[in-house]
Amino acid sequence: MKPLNLLILLGFLAGMVWVITLSEESVRSIQSSHYRTIAPFVKGGSQLELKANAFLKEVEYSKDLEERLHRTELEFGKLGAIEGQLRELERENNELNAALDFKRRTEFKVTAARVIRRQPSTWWKTIEIDRGAMSGIARQVPVLASGGLAGKVDRVTPGRDESSVILLTDESCQVSVQVEGTPEVGIVSGQRGQIGEAPLLRLRYLSKDAPIRPGMKVVTTGRGGLFHPKILVGMIESFEPGAFDGEALVKPSVDFQNLSIVFVTSAPDNTSHEKSKEDE
Amino acid sequence: MIGYLVSVICMVLTAIVLQQFMPAIEGLYDARILIVPLVFLCGSVTVSTGSMLVLAFICGFLWDAQHLPGVMTDLGNTVYTRPAEMLRFGYSIILYACMGFLMQGIRPLFREGKWHVSALLTGVAIFLYLFAEFMLITFVRGEFILTRGIMLKISFCALLTMLFSPLVFWVLFKFAALFNHTIRYDGLKTRRRA
Repeated sequence: MKPLNLLILLGFLAGMVWVITLSEESVRSIQSSHYRTIAPFVKGGSQLELKANAFLKEVEYSKDLEERLHRTELEFGKLGAIEGQLRELERENNELNAALDFKRRTEFKVTAARVIRRQPSTWWKTIEIDRGAMSGIARQVPVLASGGLAGKVDRVTPGRDESSVILLTDESCQVSVQVEGTPEVGIVSGQRGQIGEAPLLRLRYLSKDAPIRPGMKVVTTGRGGLFHPKILVGMIESFEPGAFDGEALVKPSVDFQNLSIVFVTSAPDNTSHEKSKEDE
Repeated sequence: MIGYLVSVICMVLTAIVLQQFMPAIEGLYDARILIVPLVFLCGSVTVSTGSMLVLAFICGFLWDAQHLPGVMTDLGNTVYTRPAEMLRFGYSIILYACMGFLMQGIRPLFREGKWHVSALLTGVAIFLYLFAEFMLITFVRGEFILTRGIMLKISFCALLTMLFSPLVFWVLFKFAALFNHTIRYDGLKTRRRA
């Protein structure tokens, strides 16, 4: 071996040891610097992807547009009538709440964000959104979508209004949940190897003889302080009792294939949650 | 030699930028063209072992900085006691180096002018890279899972990426000619003759 190659090999090994032993904070700092540098290109790439998708959708749906417009006009008329009824119910509800001195338990700030990039990495199920540090978004806060819980914020680029969200369908996104109507509490997470199909979540650590039936709702417990309580996660698809515990497959309530708008919430206030549990 | 290596490093940095514009193709099991590994693999067959290791370190480091998500180690509570294991930052450097050594194995053929063998091997190397990456995730998390979807995703990624290797080789030959770096003994000579 040439002396120069040997020196490079030793340098490579030393570099490897340094990188592998980096602390999580150092890794985060490196990743933040990297994202700050490439942020303009990420945004450019995202916009290109959005435009391409919009064009494809336009081509796909152009034939149905006229029919949809007609249907929408009819629906609009119906909704106008329903809205009138709802206003009346809302007024009545407010009056009753005031009379009962109702306290709202799940009060949290929500920031709407647009999905600017889907699946930026090969194996990890993540999305990138157009709200970040400049909108007051922090790491590990829950992200909702139409239907229920979508995931949590994984990375926030300092000084930029962008962040990365790890989806509930990823194996590393774990959520403490409860099967509604039962005392059964478990941890739900995504499943490895689900590609090109409607993803199902895996609910673990249930009792082996849990009275769980397909169609039951799964909601967050709020335990652990990461997610707000009572957020819909999905519906039970099937239940498999094991030797020591039971496992269930959960159909997510969020349509992850067509995720375009998400809502980033503030971090849950644990003290208020604990208080509400005490009240119960 | 140094000028050529710097030009390949610049190509890697450009590839990182271009990679941002590469969407996953939903119809092909979310496959995508992996430009950074492609540039590394094509570049590694045209340089010495030492230079290949330098390239592997840069590519692996930047790849992990770009892609590796965080872990739930900072929660400090008793609910999430068994978080999903994540790969360590820097694991890609090892994978890149392994693929680089694989490409170096057919360097004599490449130097004879048989670049198409190297082009085919880039596809094989990308396949092995993704397969090894998935197996590493499986190893640290346990529970062996290998579905048809995963195999198809890996295969399509490798195939799509391989199709672009002649283009990358063409650019590398241009750089080699520009910096007077000899990467072939036979076939097309890139060294400028006096």
